[in-house]
Amino acid sequence: MPSSTDTGPHAWLEAARDTRHLMAFRARTVRRRGAAFLGLAVVVVLTAVFAVVPSRVDLRSGVSAPFERALAALETNLGAAFAGFLLLAVGAAMGSGGGRELLSRSEAAVHPISPVTEHLGALLLAPVNLAWMVQAWTLLAVTALVTPPANLVGAQLVVLAWVLTATALGQAAGWAVEGVRRTARGVLVVRIGAGAVVVVLAALHLAGLLAPLARSLPTTWLADTSQTTRWPLALGVLLLLTVAGLVVGARPAAWALGLPPREELRVQSGVHEARHVPEPRWGSADRALLRRLDRGSVWRSVGMRRGLMVLGIGPGLVALVAGLEWGTVLLLPGLTASGAALLFGVNAWCLDGKGMVWRETLPVSSADVFDVRALVVAECMAAVSGVTVVLALLRNGLPPLVTGVAVASCWLVVLVQVLAIVMTWSVRSPYSVDLSSPRATPAPHAAMAGYAGRLSLVTTLTAMVFTGLAALPWAWAPAVVSLPFLAWSTRRLLRARRRWLAGDERARVVLTVAAV
Amino acid sequence: MSQSPAVVVRDLHVRFGDVEAVSGVDLTADSGRATALLGRNGAGKSTTMKVLAGVVPPTSGSVTVAGHDAATDALGVKRAVGYCPDVGGLVPRATPWEHLQLSARLRRMDDWEERGRDLLERFELGDVAHRVVGGFSHGMSRRLSVVLASLHEPDVLLLDEPFDGVDPLGVEATLEVVADARARGACVLLSTHLRDLALEACGEAVVLRGGNRVAAMQAGDLTGEAYRALLD
Repeated sequence: MPSSTDTGPHAWLEAARDTRHLMAFRARTVRRRGAAFLGLAVVVVLTAVFAVVPSRVDLRSGVSAPFERALAALETNLGAAFAGFLLLAVGAAMGSGGGRELLSRSEAAVHPISPVTEHLGALLLAPVNLAWMVQAWTLLAVTALVTPPANLVGAQLVVLAWVLTATALGQAAGWAVEGVRRTARGVLVVRIGAGAVVVVLAALHLAGLLAPLARSLPTTWLADTSQTTRWPLALGVLLLLTVAGLVVGARPAAWALGLPPREELRVQSGVHEARHVPEPRWGSADRALLRRLDRGSVWRSVGMRRGLMVLGIGPGLVALVAGLEWGTVLLLPGLTASGAALLFGVNAWCLDGKGMVWRETLPVSSADVFDVRALVVAECMAAVSGVTVVLALLRNGLPPLVTGVAVASCWLVVLVQVLAIVMTWSVRSPYSVDLSSPRATPAPHAAMAGYAGRLSLVTTLTAMVFTGLAALPWAWAPAVVSLPFLAWSTRRLLRARRRWLAGDERARVVLTVAAV
Repeated sequence: MSQSPAVVVRDLHVRFGDVEAVSGVDLTADSGRATALLGRNGAGKSTTMKVLAGVVPPTSGSVTVAGHDAATDALGVKRAVGYCPDVGGLVPRATPWEHLQLSARLRRMDDWEERGRDLLERFELGDVAHRVVGGFSHGMSRRLSVVLASLHEPDVLLLDEPFDGVDPLGVEATLEVVADARARGACVLLSTHLRDLALEACGEAVVLRGGNRVAAMQAGDLTGEAYRALLD
């Protein structure tokens, strides 16, 4: 009988077979197959668009000098962007406790699922991540923009290979970090290590060394080679590295999964002393107590707490260190708010888990329950996107009036927009999920991919509108344009609330989330 | 104490899409009495309990709980009822004390802490009162659900599978809660598969099959053979 930590050739064959079975099982449980296929088709089409269309646009003729400079900067920094993708892959795997799971912990507990299967499953699910998709599309688009059309195919093959390589290497690193985190003082070690990395990067940036260092990484050779006829060499190297990362990653996966999840166990066994009933200055004490319970459900979850911190600090640090222009910063609140919503907001009632039936027996108005839950979702989104905006403010200083109004308006619009969308989804398509593991997601993976794609598309398009408005000389324009956006989203939010207030609809949500 | 029955169900139908979970249940339960709700899996016991708790609205029929119409006054029903759901029933990242605090606050109970502590001790949950319930065993969760259902001394106590996975001491404490509720004049409805415990706790029994009521009798008359015959 093979050992559960076996990572030999036999284990790989078995794991590949098991992964196929698990994927097929998950595929059979997709509720809306038509929508899933449509979503997949949209992703493929968008990938093709980003990979090809920018190269068809003739940017070199008749453009302004600043645009020429921007294009040259993109070309020079493509290698650094490759390295950035690797950093993202490592961060995503670290944030999700090693990687996403094909079956939830409670479902998987009774099945003989090996660590190698878990490793393969996490790799397959890595693309179901808003940041992963956006970054991959960005790499494809920038490569298409700066590569001569004759070499485009080779260059894009190298980009796709790099995406695979970085994901495999990031996954291996993620498992290793998760293993360390599960040792006796691992949580502290990982926090100190992550803090040290941030401090070193910031110090390098302040010393003016970060950009030259990033450009001197082997990824620059990769980016340069991909645009020449020697691209097969780069492709070969990357494929070798991918296989190596894939095989090597199984070791830390087996190690990490063999250790008890200390951080989660500490939360479960930790003592939370009783506090008095809150006496708020405004609003009722009932709502304040409901709010406290909901906030506790968010911040006592290892996965959500970790995700919110990464989303809050990560993009903000990029804005701080890289000195992003306000035009780029405008895109970030929507994306970070979407990321926060994807932690639990897309299935907001799942915070209560099986306790939702008990919650529903409490004599409290259903409107209060909805309002409090929407407020807690909004708080999380506002907090993480707020950190990004504040750090950008620290880096860039006060923006011109019209830009400031555009940033504030855009931030408010995307918050209300995302809130309305996710509360609608929460009522329309609830799921029963167990979020006790940081590897869990609030909805099935196919649904999460759809949610991530739709949220990123909506918020990016909205931010682009406000980027355009920021270029106009009228400071009032962004504020005025935000009004129809806000009216539409408020209407949508109220519609979701009305649906929740209907007894039979609410019962459907309650019974589905509690799985009874 | 009201002379009219605390729970009156007439021709209750509950439909989830194409599935009819309850099809024409009639049920009456008096104050000061405990009634066992028996039947096989899928007989409609838990769904009927959820309607009585104000969680699921009836599709048709009339349901009155402590004088409140479940179809039009779900909030009134929730104030009058204490409900222990059949599965889970606890917010995973909240502590038992936080559950009690919320329940008491929303029911406007001022001096609940002593009773809360006493119930937790009786169910041997005193030493885990401030730990999140996500780490609880199944039996501990069931015991806490009974504590939550009985904290506010409701007019109608609904216990759905309260003995499931519970150790003998927990069973004993649950039987005490049922006896206390009866003694203070509350109506108790107890759903279970365990006939012997149902007979010990309750004076009357109602048997459901396929979403219908097939028998209502004194608990003492429900012998093993009679029960088995009603299930088939």
